[in-house]
Amino acid sequence: MTGDEELLRRLREMWEATDPVPDGLADRVLFTLDLEHLEFELLRLHDAFAPQAARGHESARTITFSSDSLTVMVTVSPAGGRRPAHRLDGWIAPAAALRVELRTSGGSQETTADRDGRLSFPDVPAGLVQLVLHPTEGAALDLVVPVMTPAVQL
Amino acid sequence: MTPNTADDAGLADDTGLPVAIWDIAAREFAAWREGDPGALERLVRRVTPTLWQTARSCGLGREAAEDTVQATWLALVRRADSIRDPQAVLRWMVTTTHREAWKAGRLSQREATVEEAVLDAVSPPVEGPEGAVLTQGTARALWRQVARLPQRCQRLLRVIAFGHRPDYAALADRLGMPVGSIGPTRGRCLDKLRTLLAADPEWEVGP
Repeated sequence: MTGDEELLRRLREMWEATDPVPDGLADRVLFTLDLEHLEFELLRLHDAFAPQAARGHESARTITFSSDSLTVMVTVSPAGGRRPAHRLDGWIAPAAALRVELRTSGGSQETTADRDGRLSFPDVPAGLVQLVLHPTEGAALDLVVPVMTPAVQL
Repeated sequence: MTPNTADDAGLADDTGLPVAIWDIAAREFAAWREGDPGALERLVRRVTPTLWQTARSCGLGREAAEDTVQATWLALVRRADSIRDPQAVLRWMVTTTHREAWKAGRLSQREATVEEAVLDAVSPPVEGPEGAVLTQGTARALWRQVARLPQRCQRLLRVIAFGHRPDYAALADRLGMPVGSIGPTRGRCLDKLRTLLAADPEWEVGP
C-alpha cells in the first residue's frame, strides 16, 4: 500500500511532468508587474485564432482581449523588413480615439487610435509586448484607469 | 527508487508535501515588503508553477490559466498591504487563483469546458522536470488511472496535491460540496485510485 502523502507526492510529480507551467510565464508576470503605476485594469485574453493557437509561435494571428467595458482585437503579422519584426494592427470596440502605448522589452512606442478605434504599430521588435490604453480627453470612451492587455510573446 | 529528494531547495520533506514553498513564499514576501528589490522576482519564479497547477486544477484551458495567474500576481501586488501575516501569503494567492479562475470560467465558458480536461488526460506523459523521482512507468500508470476517476475526484486531488494546507472552506465552495465532506472525499478518492493502481501492471508500489 502507498500512503496518502506518498501518493499525493507522486501525483504532484505526475502533473508537473504532464502539464508543466508554460515557458516564460514567470517572465510575462514580471514584465507586467514592472510598472510604475499599478492602477490599471487588466484585460483577459478572450480568443486566439491562429494555425496554432499557442503563445510564442511565429505566425500571423488574431488575438482578442476584453473586459466588461471594451474589446481590443489585435492582428500580428510579419513586418516584411530585413530583420525579424512584426506589424501590429488593432481595433478598439466601442470605437474610441484613445492614446495607446505599446510596451516592449526595449522601451515603449505610442500612437493614437482613430475615431473608428483603429491603430497600428508598423515595426514591433520580437519579445514580450503589452498594449496599454490610456484615458484620453475627448475620446468617445471615458476610461477611469488605463486598460492593459496581458504580456504576450511575439 | 528513493523516497524523496529533500535536498533540492527543500522541495519536499519527509511528509512528501512541499512544506518549504510555504516558508519560502512567506520569507520573500516579507523581504519584498521591507524593500528588497529582488525578492518579488524570486517570489514570482518560485510560486508561479504552484499557481499554474492551481489554475489548471480548476478546469481552465491553458490560456485562461495563464491570464488567471497574471491576475493573481497583480492582485497580490495591489493588495499586499492587506496581508498582515506573511505566513498567509501562499494561501491568499491560492484562494485568489481559485476566485480568478472561477471568474474566468464564467466569462469564457469555451475555455473552461470539461472537454479540455479530457483531452489533457489522453495526451501522453512527457519527460518530467529534472530531479523528478517518478519513473516513466509510474507516471504513465498514475496518469492513466487518474483519468478514470470521477471529474470531482480529479480536481480535488489536484488542488490538494499542490495546495499545502489548502483552504478547505474555499475549496468546498469551488467544488460545490460541503466543507465537512472534503476530508472524507479526499480519502475515498485516494482509495479508489489505489485500487485502480493495484490492477495496473506498470504501477510500482514502492520506494
